Amino acid sequence: MSKVVTIQQAVMAEDEKYALRVRKLMKEKGIPMFNIIGSPGCGKTTLLEAMADRADFSFAVIEGDLETSRDAERLASRGVTALQINTRGWCHLEAHVVEKALASLDVDGLDVLFIENVGNLVCPAEFDLGEDLKIAVSSTPEGADKPLKYPMLFVQAGAVLLTKIDLLPHVRFDREMFVNDVRSLNPRAPILELDLTSGAGVGAWVSFVSEKIKEKRSHAG
Amino acid sequence: MRTGNGNDMHELSMAEAVNNTIKDLCARSGWLRARRVVLKVGRMRQVDHELLAFAFEIVARGTPSEGAELSVLELPTVFRCHSCGRETTTEGMAFVCMNCGSTNVELLSGMELTIESMEVDQQGA
Repeated sequence: MSKVVTIQQAVMAEDEKYALRVRKLMKEKGIPMFNIIGSPGCGKTTLLEAMADRADFSFAVIEGDLETSRDAERLASRGVTALQINTRGWCHLEAHVVEKALASLDVDGLDVLFIENVGNLVCPAEFDLGEDLKIAVSSTPEGADKPLKYPMLFVQAGAVLLTKIDLLPHVRFDREMFVNDVRSLNPRAPILELDLTSGAGVGAWVSFVSEKIKEKRSHAG
Repeated sequence: MRTGNGNDMHELSMAEAVNNTIKDLCARSGWLRARRVVLKVGRMRQVDHELLAFAFEIVARGTPSEGAELSVLELPTVFRCHSCGRETTTEGMAFVCMNCGSTNVELLSGMELTIESMEVDQQGA
């Protein structure tokens, strides 16, 4: 015999449990965790490399990619501890994978932890990894229409990074529209403009991260 | 992932999460199988209903949801303006108050992903 039952249960509860555990662990350690999300080629790894050269804080990176350990190798060559996760076709990272990665990373000596999500603007925005902030990275050659096309990411972002601003003279990019669209989705997130080739804007990003490190430390335990 | 080449992982991930939740509900409540599932999905989730139903059909194989009919109820994006107090319901994605143009708004609905109800087979039937 069949019957109709009212359920009203939110889905994703399962992975949410892992996210809560990750968040609790990082709170105890007093280490902020940034989940970096953006298209393939927008400059996520280059941003981390630029930080390795400039930052006075110590950090490690959990690298999510479908295949290869190239990103982790790039970072390791700059002296950054990077743990590569190959998702083998999955287009995003999930919290249970992050929890497992944390078990094999020595986070105690770190000031901050970065997760470089799989290059994709859709699914990574939907999965809570237990991070403190999602960082949306968008590059000028992608076009200024990305915020409204992929609103989930921009709505949730704790900061929006616009990379490759050195290419502005060469690409069609409506900067004003980009800023206005981000503001309409997310009035509070700072928008930082970066040229990772020259290093312009990296200082502001490093200050932003340093500020979050201080905040997190003061709320540790 | 909306790559346009059939590699749409976005709905597949969602279908797997829905199916896992149903599996747990069935195991906990002693239900043998789900025949019909009503899912509430907020507009902000940007879900393609057909793709979701297709993905669900695949991931449900060999589980208590095998062959179950999935109905999706889409909820609109609704936000309240903190400046003028009015609510805006929109099919779009821009968080701008339709009444006063303020961006100081709070999302009330649009992010839902909830199993609303199910038709299930009970044990001992």
